[in-house]
Amino acid sequence: MKPLIPLLALFLGGLFLPELATADYPLTADSKPQSGVPKGIVSQHRWEESQSYPGTVRDYWIYVPAQYDASKPACLMVFQDGRGYVNEKGHSRVPTVFDNLIHKKEMPVTIGVFINPGTIPAVRPGGKSRSNRSFEYDSLGSRYATFLIDEFLPAVTKDLNLVDDPQARGIVGISSSGICAFTAAWERPDYFSKVISYIGSFTNIRGGHVYPALIRKTESKPIRVFLQDGENDLDNLHGHWPLANRQMAAALKFAKYDYRFEMGDGGHSGQHGGALLPEMLRWLWRDYPGVNQGTVNQGTVNQGTVK
Amino acid sequence: MSCVRHCLPMLLISSFFAMSQPLAAQDMPLTQVLIDGEDWQSVSKGHRFTDGLTTDAEGNLYFADVAAGTTINRIGLDGKLTAVADDAPRISGMHFGPDGRIYACQGGSFGRIVAFDLKAGKMDVIAENVKPNDLVVTADGHIYFTETAKMQVSHIPPGGNVQAADVASKTDGPQRPNGIALTPDQGTLAVSDYGGRHTWVWRVAKDGSLDLRQSYITLRTPSPDFPSKGDGMTTDAVGRYYVTSAVGLQMFDPTGRMGGVIAAPTNKPIVSVTFAGPGHQYLYVAAGDEIFRRKTKASGVEAIRSERK
Repeated sequence: MKPLIPLLALFLGGLFLPELATADYPLTADSKPQSGVPKGIVSQHRWEESQSYPGTVRDYWIYVPAQYDASKPACLMVFQDGRGYVNEKGHSRVPTVFDNLIHKKEMPVTIGVFINPGTIPAVRPGGKSRSNRSFEYDSLGSRYATFLIDEFLPAVTKDLNLVDDPQARGIVGISSSGICAFTAAWERPDYFSKVISYIGSFTNIRGGHVYPALIRKTESKPIRVFLQDGENDLDNLHGHWPLANRQMAAALKFAKYDYRFEMGDGGHSGQHGGALLPEMLRWLWRDYPGVNQGTVNQGTVNQGTVK
Repeated sequence: MSCVRHCLPMLLISSFFAMSQPLAAQDMPLTQVLIDGEDWQSVSKGHRFTDGLTTDAEGNLYFADVAAGTTINRIGLDGKLTAVADDAPRISGMHFGPDGRIYACQGGSFGRIVAFDLKAGKMDVIAENVKPNDLVVTADGHIYFTETAKMQVSHIPPGGNVQAADVASKTDGPQRPNGIALTPDQGTLAVSDYGGRHTWVWRVAKDGSLDLRQSYITLRTPSPDFPSKGDGMTTDAVGRYYVTSAVGLQMFDPTGRMGGVIAAPTNKPIVSVTFAGPGHQYLYVAAGDEIFRRKTKASGVEAIRSERK
């Protein structure tokens, strides 16, 4: 991205620069292949049945780290909008990050599951497939968690040896799948204890703007949450993303959650979240048995400021 | 060479925007539909309870007075009101079929689906012993209609008999199925629920049967324990859904996310909606004794169907 800005300035005389002058968040070495680090294996699959979302089909990917030993139970992280996370040239490059962090023992041996939202294929000639993404991700309630926990995950991980403990499971998403990840843990903290949200849509797409109020008036749940957003994120009919994420962070603070909030100045993209991912993972897994202690830079929590 | 000077910046700009906004959803606020300064205009009054709004390929509006009328009325592109069919009482829902006839729900003691051939001045009975509320007809002649009291969506295949396409239970599905509309590709059927919170969708199968019922669209309600009063429905050319309700005319994008609530023209409930007028660019609503219309930036689903012809 960086080389484009001078070029744009050259061609446009800086016409668009004020709007685009956001910080660059480059990926660090943790997100790039390192020599001597064993690579895990990613396989692609298709899920074509669902009790929770009848008629939907979706792609998913499974990452198994090189260090996985079937005789020892592994941890699990589930990424919504999975295609973007598993992509080796995408915003987060999760398989490479996992390779590097597992190798350095900065996170436990962890299986990655990357799942796309469902679509309902058209069957009528000339028909268009219908996206089920908003219905699955933006809706509050337990339907998506039930889908993951009761039907999808047991089936796709049936041949893997996994730790049966919420402390060993995390859930991740971006934008609508960011609120979706939070919803899944909120509904089923007995299953997921770790949440990462990039540019989460805690706005009124399908009622998700109520979470700050719910968090403040609900006995705290055993969930550890890392939120990321940017000052130039969306401000549209559904809400104002930076304000909504600040409300979330303030509510999590009020209710004494173990949380971190990083407010950058990016827009509605995965760039900042992707650059932060290694740090997010170190922070989430910092006290897990077998993980190297003292590798987390606690730093200062950047709460941003309300404009 | 000149392309380096002219094309490269454009390529850079487009790729920059593509990279900087990869997740920006296609948000559809009301500003994509409503026009500043264009409000509801009364186009016909003095009726008792207007209903059954529909349109033809040209954009003429058709409606009935379900409480007191005995005619099917048309408001032409010239704004003139004429009666185009006599002896048509208790009509609550209408839609043109591919054969050019108006298919209609005739309620009360009639309990039937009828078809009016306006040119021949003739009415045929399509199905009897039903309790229809509203209907829609596909481009290949499948009729779908709501039977509100039976919690049922009914289907008449071309030349076939009435069958129950789907019946709700007390705990799942529309409790009082009412308005009915098709997406532009006619691959999804949507039904509003006068007694619930959702507008439900089904996939339309090759043989016209319906499957995969889903509470895809959630309406705003006046209070948490009050139903949506979802009533008349229509869709536009880009696949937005419009549902009349207790709080106004609710608009939803093609993925089921609310775009906004358009205020009703008066305090009287609105029960039917369609796009009609020039280019099918006017929203028309039935509000009790009166019909209103409002110019928009959108065009009705009929606009693309008439293009295909």
